[in-house]
Amino acid sequence: MFGLNKIIPVEPNINFLGLRRNFLIFSILAILISIGLLSIKGLNLGIDFKGGTLIEVSTKNTSIGELREILSSSYSDVSLQEFGNENIILIRLQNKSNQESIETVNSVKNLIQDKVVEFRRSEFVGPTISSELLFRGFQAVSFALIAILIYIWLRFEWQFGFGAVVALTHDVLFTLGLLSILNVEFSLATIAAILTIAGYSINDTVVIFDRVRENLRKYKKLELVDLFNLSVNNTLSRTIMTSLTTLLALVSLFIFGGEVIRPFALTMIIGVIIGTYSSVFIAVPTLLIFKFRPQDEDD
Amino acid sequence: MKNYPIWKSFTVVSLVLLGIIFAIPSIIYDESSENWFLKNKINLGLDLQGGSYLLLEVQLDVLYKEELDNFVDSVRLISRDQAVKIEKIDILENEVVVFFGNKEKIKDIRDSFFQMYRGVTLQINNNKISIKLNDEYRKIIQDSAIKQSLEIVRKRIDESGTKEPLIQRSGKKRILLQLPGVKDPERIKDLLGKTAKLTFHIVDNENTSALQNNLAPFGKIIVPDMYDENTKYLLDKRAVVGGENLVDAKGSFDQTEGHAVSFRFDTEGAQKFGKVTTNNIGKNLAVVLDGVVITAPRISSAITGGSGIITGNFNAQEASDLAVLLRAGALPAPLEIVEERSVGAGLGADSIAAGQIAAVIGMVLVCIFMILIYGTFGALANVSLIVNLFIIISLLGTIGATLTLPGIAGIVLTIGMAVDANVLIFERIKEESLKQTKVFQIVKNGFDRAMSTILDANITTLIAAVLLFAFGSGPIRGFSITLSLGVIASMFTALMLTNFLVYMYLSFANKKELKL
Repeated sequence: MFGLNKIIPVEPNINFLGLRRNFLIFSILAILISIGLLSIKGLNLGIDFKGGTLIEVSTKNTSIGELREILSSSYSDVSLQEFGNENIILIRLQNKSNQESIETVNSVKNLIQDKVVEFRRSEFVGPTISSELLFRGFQAVSFALIAILIYIWLRFEWQFGFGAVVALTHDVLFTLGLLSILNVEFSLATIAAILTIAGYSINDTVVIFDRVRENLRKYKKLELVDLFNLSVNNTLSRTIMTSLTTLLALVSLFIFGGEVIRPFALTMIIGVIIGTYSSVFIAVPTLLIFKFRPQDEDD
Repeated sequence: MKNYPIWKSFTVVSLVLLGIIFAIPSIIYDESSENWFLKNKINLGLDLQGGSYLLLEVQLDVLYKEELDNFVDSVRLISRDQAVKIEKIDILENEVVVFFGNKEKIKDIRDSFFQMYRGVTLQINNNKISIKLNDEYRKIIQDSAIKQSLEIVRKRIDESGTKEPLIQRSGKKRILLQLPGVKDPERIKDLLGKTAKLTFHIVDNENTSALQNNLAPFGKIIVPDMYDENTKYLLDKRAVVGGENLVDAKGSFDQTEGHAVSFRFDTEGAQKFGKVTTNNIGKNLAVVLDGVVITAPRISSAITGGSGIITGNFNAQEASDLAVLLRAGALPAPLEIVEERSVGAGLGADSIAAGQIAAVIGMVLVCIFMILIYGTFGALANVSLIVNLFIIISLLGTIGATLTLPGIAGIVLTIGMAVDANVLIFERIKEESLKQTKVFQIVKNGFDRAMSTILDANITTLIAAVLLFAFGSGPIRGFSITLSLGVIASMFTALMLTNFLVYMYLSFANKKELKL
């Protein structure tokens, strides 16, 4: 109608595979830096995984400084933060035992009762629960990777499964690395975001692999590099379109969805971009390691 | 309408209509409506409607320890009967070791012990007996403790007047509580924080040296006063009667005593109580709650009516809470709160509003984008997208799923991802249109070729969503549900509805060539 679809040519001919060395080096560096960051700086763990107490209050005519003054006289490990706007304040406390924490919530509430309009939420996660949640999150991500590998193996050849899981592991590590740099809070919702990224990225990869498989049958004489290039080009406009619509929805969620959901939306935005990149530049080139046809061995 | 089977049109149209009709109750929900259909709406999670989520852990270690103490008491009684001297008793973490003065009667002691406790592991080694809590025995204790705790917790919550609470076992030793509408769970936490084990004991006023040395002789215990830790009482270890014999308890007010709790025993309790008070006139009777003495009045006359009052320095709320606890019964072991999440109604409402805005704006952006790129076909895909949203809402309402804040995020995400299947189809159609000119053939090939890709791509997303459900908790499950429903609905809307709309459009517009 508006002819905008002409921006992406119907049959683009971009030599993606030709650049594979550069991108491979970039990705390996990114992964190494991510691993380094994760082991040195670590993630900004929220109370889900670290344990502790969180209280969100809305105030009126009370500055964050006043509240901090009141609370820090009783607690050394209290941290306050504005949440969305200056009238909403997030109070975090690190507690040791379960019993202590329950008492903490009460006494914090009593201390600031007259300065606060509403206690919007209070959360407390005990130390046993937080380590369990972390373990279960790790378990979920690992099982997802394995289940996806098995599915791809059944539907395609095992080489595709390998390529997909390399790309997925890349996405997860890269995303975690960026979360570490950006200091985004890592919570249960982040685990959900990461699993969704895994689902999204694999979705993208499968679409391209599907075309590779089709082209492998169709063009028996074409060299593998050219064939892979053709497949990526064939699916390019779809890859871009879907990433863009998903990003549109996510950006809307990030801007309008409220403060609580923001870290989730941000993680997803990062993940979708990385996932799209890895499908084209990591998953497909990984397939080159394998020889799919006898004649390739002569090359 | 070339080659488009009637049954298929019928199926598509009726499914779409069903989707829209069943979404109605959730969209125009009216609290006061009498119509059952309109009440069939989506459940909101605690994070959206406000409420409290509590995870309690039954302190089983206390029970195991108690059981070991019981073993010790029983062995003492048996050896006293058998006139065997005990030299030493070691209470370890998971077992008790009793050293006897001689080993002649050790087998008899073992046999008598086995008559009282079956299923424990007991070993004889020279002059010592070690009794161990084995795994099966612990499991029996654990299961009955959880069952009992669940029941008591349920009673206490019911008594507190909380509406529609959800109380269920979670894992091996935990109880999960969802209390919608409870903004400040302090009172509930107070109610659950007490075991409320009530017992009546005769006070021993004669043995003053025991209290001075703070060393209770066998068969006695030393218990502090509720209000003054330094005041201590020496009591018979055996309770005269306990809270399990209560049939009723109420907060009451007495002119002279102030706020009090009046109670009534069942027949058995009344008989025991009557007998003890008759035989012990002049002595004091201690009312012990969770290891402290509330009060220890002197027995001035026999109490045979089976009812009485407990006085203490209560205020009205404390008296009525104690009555609630006594009515509900004692917990077998203390409960510890290991996780708590409370959301006020204000934040919940804000989250819903923000989620709605994000969904609408995301939707509008995606729709505009689709029309810019695919023109009329984009508009058809948008119809599918909107129907998709209706279907998700109606499915959520019909299967009784709970919508959480991450669930809303799942819906917004689905809006972005749902067009994917349409995009795959349109891109195939675009490719096919370069190869041939027959309009309907192009469309048919486009859909057929895109089919397997759509299936593969969506099933992998479903795998991730199902795992999220399996390993996630609470709100995260809400996300995995909306994501899964969204993925399934988007496959249907793309492969069936978009297909139908494209055929309709091409037939009615009578297109001779297809340019996408």
